[in-house]
Amino acid sequence: MSGMVRIAAVGDVHIAEDVAGQFRPGMADLAERADVLLLAGDLTRFGTPDEARLVAAEFGGLPVPVVAVLGNHDYQSDQVPELVSILADAGITVLEGDSTVIDTPAGRLGIAGTKGFGGGFAGRCATAFGEPEMKAFVGASGALADRLGEALRSVECDVRVALTHYAPVPDTLAGEPLEIYPFLGSYLLAQAIDSAPTALAVHGHAHYGSERGMTPGGVLVRNVAHPVIRQAYSLFHLDVPSPVTEELAGAERATG
Amino acid sequence: MTTPATGGPPTGDLDYVEAEVRRLLAEDPGIGEQGIEVRHRERVLVLRGEVESPGRRREILRTVRNRFPGLALRADISVSATHPPDAPEELP
Repeated sequence: MSGMVRIAAVGDVHIAEDVAGQFRPGMADLAERADVLLLAGDLTRFGTPDEARLVAAEFGGLPVPVVAVLGNHDYQSDQVPELVSILADAGITVLEGDSTVIDTPAGRLGIAGTKGFGGGFAGRCATAFGEPEMKAFVGASGALADRLGEALRSVECDVRVALTHYAPVPDTLAGEPLEIYPFLGSYLLAQAIDSAPTALAVHGHAHYGSERGMTPGGVLVRNVAHPVIRQAYSLFHLDVPSPVTEELAGAERATG
Repeated sequence: MTTPATGGPPTGDLDYVEAEVRRLLAEDPGIGEQGIEVRHRERVLVLRGEVESPGRRREILRTVRNRFPGLALRADISVSATHPPDAPEELP
């Protein structure tokens, strides 16, 4: 099977009572435009169960599958398991170090996701040295990225997408102050994304960043934080490679 | 260091005001905004960014004014739109 998979994505919607109902009208024709909706974290404002119920009302029951990761805001009230349960009850798949596969007319879309964490970017990153707090920070970021890499490598599908809240590359942070880059993402996420034949990486978190970037391995990166995209969601058309094309490319690589 | 005629903190202290406002906007239990840029120009504190509702913008300004009465404040905070996209991006 081959063709084009259609991906809608938005992050950082920060839903609370004052925002409830604002996104739903923009989703009215989603079924005609997309095969899936990705939510790139910071679904809520303070991570409360009441806000999660509003997220469930806003994005639950849509005519396309909805796949999410959580963001740092969703951790603010220390009620993550309850949030995940409320979202799951509304049919929203919440990923953390695991993956899901969606059958689309163009083929099987595999999505692996994690919130991810900070630490900074290659050559200027935090290191697991010294105080236990520093080791815990760097260790947490590494563990989340490791699980993302495993999920991406093991998912069986025709085309792969990585979904994170924190940024995998500095490209999509352009516009943010350099001083806060280590709090906005980690190169370890990019390394995980590059460890599998990933077609697209989608993230949020960087409200002042920019939309487009690329990992060192050449994977396209898109920042879909709502303040960056300034619309209900962004829409991406992604080619699904046909098995024949892949076989030919493989043969060329073997003989080349 | 002199205190401005309008009241509020001395100009030299605005570095600390800037830091405190940035933390206030993130850590105040009623706000939780990390995406607002806080800078000072001379004696004016400038807030810039995008929020999800007009109510959040009002809340931000009210909280900062309550914490620093008399501080000259200039805000450029807009509300993010929620219309559907015009067209998809065709990825290579």
